[in-house]
Order: sequence, then structure tokens, then C-alpha cells
Amino acid sequence: MLRLNPLTVRKLKRFREIRRGYYSAILLVALTGLSLFAELMVNDRAIIVSYEGRWFFPTYADVKLGAEFGLTGTEAVTPVDYRALQARFAGTDNWVLMPVVPWGPYFNDTTEGVLKAQAPNAQRRHYLGTDSTGRDVLSRLVYGFRTAIFFAIAFTGLTYMIGVSIGCAMGYFGGVFDLLFQRIIEIWSNIPFLYMVIIVFSVIPATYEIGTRIGILLLIMVLFSWTGLTYYMRTETYKEKARDYTAAALVLGAGTTRVIFRHILPNTIATMVTFVPFTVVSAITAITALDFLGWGLPPPTPSIGELLKQGTANLTTAPWIVTSAFVALVFILAVVTFIGEAVREAFDPRKFTLYR
Amino acid sequence: MSGNLLEVRDLKVHFPVKGGVLLRAKGANRAVDGVSLHIGRGETLGLVGESGCGKSTLGKAVVRLLKPTAGQILFDDIDLTDLSRREMKPVRRDVQMIFQDPAESLNSRLTVGSLISEAFEIHGIGDPVWRRERVARLLAQVGLPASAADRFPFEFSGGQRQRIGIARAIALEPKLVICDEPVSALDVSIQSQILNLLLDLQEEMGLSYLFIAHDLAVVKHISDRIAIMYLGQIMETGGADEIYETPRHPYTRALIAAIPEPDPTRRGRPKVVLEGDVPSPIHPPSGCVFHTRCSYAEERCRIEKPVLRDLIATDGGSRQVACHFDL
Repeated sequence: MLRLNPLTVRKLKRFREIRRGYYSAILLVALTGLSLFAELMVNDRAIIVSYEGRWFFPTYADVKLGAEFGLTGTEAVTPVDYRALQARFAGTDNWVLMPVVPWGPYFNDTTEGVLKAQAPNAQRRHYLGTDSTGRDVLSRLVYGFRTAIFFAIAFTGLTYMIGVSIGCAMGYFGGVFDLLFQRIIEIWSNIPFLYMVIIVFSVIPATYEIGTRIGILLLIMVLFSWTGLTYYMRTETYKEKARDYTAAALVLGAGTTRVIFRHILPNTIATMVTFVPFTVVSAITAITALDFLGWGLPPPTPSIGELLKQGTANLTTAPWIVTSAFVALVFILAVVTFIGEAVREAFDPRKFTLYR
Repeated sequence: MSGNLLEVRDLKVHFPVKGGVLLRAKGANRAVDGVSLHIGRGETLGLVGESGCGKSTLGKAVVRLLKPTAGQILFDDIDLTDLSRREMKPVRRDVQMIFQDPAESLNSRLTVGSLISEAFEIHGIGDPVWRRERVARLLAQVGLPASAADRFPFEFSGGQRQRIGIARAIALEPKLVICDEPVSALDVSIQSQILNLLLDLQEEMGLSYLFIAHDLAVVKHISDRIAIMYLGQIMETGGADEIYETPRHPYTRALIAAIPEPDPTRRGRPKVVLEGDVPSPIHPPSGCVFHTRCSYAEERCRIEKPVLRDLIATDGGSRQVACHFDL
């Protein structure tokens, strides 16, 4: 029973043959996977601190105060600055292993003064420079990518859940239910989404935690995006419902749940899957656009849109900000679109038709 | 208790024709319009008619995939006409269906094994081990290897797929199987194999068939009795050989004349060629529904609807025809 449907195998094989899409998929999965461990690569906390023969792993530990590593004065009661600690330990038996990019996304590097963007500088390990408040651009890009991609995945998941359920119900039950929901969807999809975001965010208090605010944004976006999917799902369900295998299941005595989940849904999946990458693209674009306008992820959450906004504001004084953000955005969108193209080609229902 | 397994009385299945802004019913498509027939135990009734005459609709109404508009369906003395889906469930073990196109009637996301054992899952019969064994036996019964259970429907040829469809239909050991044009989608060389399989199964399991087809030659081969349907109504019924040898209705004659005759010495038969198309079941002709295409039609046929009247059959069985004339 664990044998994969040979048709699925053929589709996957076709997907692998489309080199651009296949490698894009590998790249995106690898980057997403790596971004889960971003703290070990891009962070202002050290990976390992060896102090007097004992090893510490500050990345995933609580904030440590300077006193633990023998610091005195004000440094003893403030969180450790591991970059300074590394310099201090130089030449002793103690040592500090810092990440490749020793800057966190929220740390303001004020060595050249507050509100001064610093150009890329390999010496100071600001590989892509800093933004106008001295935060490392590369660091913000990495964490911004992570936020965006997981936001997009969550968005896609939720949108599909609602869109597929309602679309399927409309197609399966049809009649008055279908008619009613079609009208509701038409009205619903005419509510301007951007205004809703602005209104809701001007109403909810700024004291809410960042996580909560991101959740609310996600919810609003999902609430106004599921309608598009219902059209496809509704017609697909109508089509599959009319096929004889559905009738055969009914003649055997199958209930509604069985017919929908065992017969109709698996047969519509192939079509719905082809839209997934494009939904992800639209989610990333939407969240970036909202961030750019200042109505997206609440500050100081790192995001590509926010970098673009800063970059365009400081176009002449700090061109590296907009360049990095632009290249990163184009790269992500291109990769996801390549995957989408390949998926659409590989899962083309006309190419691998099962029924006539 | 009547001797018949299935008795259909004056069955009507009308589909509303909707129109206008509010989709109100403007008229009705009279797909099945007053059909009465019966099938005895172990008997095969062939139902023949052109495309669109309502024969498939009748079959679907009998298995209650469709809700009849009027009339009565009695199966084993149970009235199926108004049963809810839940009330129908136990009956489903006894009434099964074989579909026309096996490519469409088998869900290609499931293996053949799970397609067949779905019947057991739905009715809670047996455990997984028993089900697997039973599937293997069913596959053997329809002439497929047990290894077929782990493969997917589209890996089989059309004839093999129809065998899978048959295995699924007989899995619950039904009493009546509705065969909705089971061989029309198959190559001629495969058709006879499937027909013989159906006959073998009938003998082994004592099945009754309602065999729907548009090809009179196929139906004659398998049926005990034949009913000829035209535009939602029965035109003629009788023993298979009776109908074939001495058709009494002009429509039946036309159908028989349309069968290619392999024997050159018999090619001299008078040809009855039907002209025109089947009229719309939304606006059926007045009087006898066949009068628009009938060469014998007179004024009376346009006004008065002929009733299905009993004739004396030469084979001693029942024989009925819906025509004003004794042809």
C-alpha cells in the first residue's frame, strides 16, 4: 500500500527533468532549512565561549551578564557584547567563536554615529553595509527572508484550507448553498484589502506583542485571499462529482465524507498543487509591498520591504541598502516562480490525464 | 410476496429545466416518463434504446443515484422509491452497478485492491486480512491475477478495467446488478469476453441483471427478456428471441434492421431506416411519442397515446407492445 502512484512518480520525474525548476526547488528548500539555523550564522551572540576551561553556548541560552565571563564595572551587569569579549580574550587561554556575520538584526552599530548608514565593510564584517540606524543589512535580509518565507507558507496553508474547503463544499452541495456563497464571495472579494489592513492596524493597540500583530496581519491577508481559490476548487469539484467513480462510490453506499475525502479531494489535488508556488509568490509580494508602505510587519521586525523603504529614502547616501534588498527580493521571487513554472508543467492535468 | 426481484411501476424521472434570473423551473426534461418493468430472480432483462432515451437514467433511478419524480421501485418487496441515503445503505449490498466507461468509474488515485475492498470498508465487513483474501478471490473470479490488487486502474487495458469494475460490483454478493452499457466502451473482440464473464457470474452467483445497451445484438446474447425504450417510455417487451424474430413495434423493427446481417442469403430483408432525430424529451410529441418518425403513423397516433397492451406470445411468456396497430 505504500507504493507511490506511478502517475505521481511520472509527474515527479517530469519535474526533475525541468532543471531550472528542480534546482530552484532544492535551493529554496535548502535556504529555508538553513534559515532555521540563522542564529548560528548571523547573530551577535557567540556560538561557543570557552572561559576558564568551561564551554558556553550562548546562542540558544538565556541572556548572560558580563560578570559570568569575569567582566567588571558596568559591563558586569549588562548583557555580554561577544564581539568585545572576543577582542578582550585575544591572547589568553579563553576564546570566543563568533558566527560568520557577527551582527544581529536588531543591533544598532553606532561606531560611526547614530542614524548613519555604513557602507559595506569586510573588516568590520558588515558585508552588505548597515541601514540608516546602523543595523547590519545582511543580517536583516537573512531574518527578513525567514520571516517572509514562513509567513508565506503559513499564508498559503491557511488560504488553501479555507479556499479548498469552501470551494469543495460549494461544488459538492451545489444548489442554493453554491448560489449563496458565490454572491457572498463576490461581495467579499470587492472589499479593498489594503484599507482593511490600515483600518485594523490603526485600531489595534501598539502594545500588542509583535507575534500577535504578525498573526493579525496574517489573518487579515488570509481572510481576503481565500476567495480566489474557491473558483478553481468549485469547478474541479463539480467536474469530479459528475464522474462515474463518484457514482460508483455512492452505489457502494459511501457517505458524503468518504466521497469527498477519498474520491473527490485526491483527484483535485493535482490541479490545486500547481497554484501553490504562485500563492507563495503573491504572499511574499504582498507582505513586501505592505512593509514598504509601512502597514506590514510591525517594526522592528526585519523585512525586505522595510529595507526597500529605507533604501529608497536614502537612495543617494546609502545605495547599498536598496541594491541588496532589491537583488534579494528578485532572487526569491524568481526562484519561487521557476518552481511554479516547473510544477505547472509537470502536473499539467492535460498531459497526464486519468479520465477522458 | 411477488416472484419478481425488481418491480418498477409507472416510474417517472423528470429533470427540471431551469431558466431566468432566479433559476425557476420552466419545464421538465421527461427522461423517464412512466416506465413499468419487472425482473425475476436470476433473470436478465435487456433494456435497449437510442442515446438519450432515458435508459441510463432509469438504471440510475433503480440504484437510487437519482430520485424518482413519481412511480414506485420495489426491490425484494422493499419500496426503494422514497428511502433516504441512510435507509438505502443496507439495500446497496443487494443492488450494484457496472458502469459504461471503466476508465471513469474507477478512481485512479486508489489501487485496485482498495477500490474493491472499499465495499467491505463501507459496510464494515471483515478485517484487513480477510478483505485482502477476498479481493484476491474476486479478482480470480473475474479472471485477473491476485497481483492486480496492488496496481492502479490506469495500468490495465479497457477490458481488464471493466473486469475490475465487475469485481467491485459483485464484491458484496448482490442479487441484482445494473449493467449500464458495460461493453459499449470496449473493443468488439473484448465485448464477448466480458459478456461471457457476466453470464458465468450469473450462473455461479444467481445474479439478476438489468442490462442496458443500445446494441440489440449484444442484448439478445445475454438477455432472457428485452424491453425496448424510446423517449422515456417502453415501446415493446418480450422474450429475447421473440422480440428478435417477430418484432411487433415499428421502432423495434427499425432497430433490428439496423443490425448488420452477416448472412448474405438473408440480406433481402426489408430495410426500415429511421429518419430524423429523437425528439426532445422536454417537448415530447403528442399521442404516440414515436409518430414523428414512424412510417405507419396515422392521424390517430398524433392524438391518442397507445397503452402498453398484452399480446399472446408464442413462447408463452409475457409480451407487450405500445402500438395502435397489429403489425
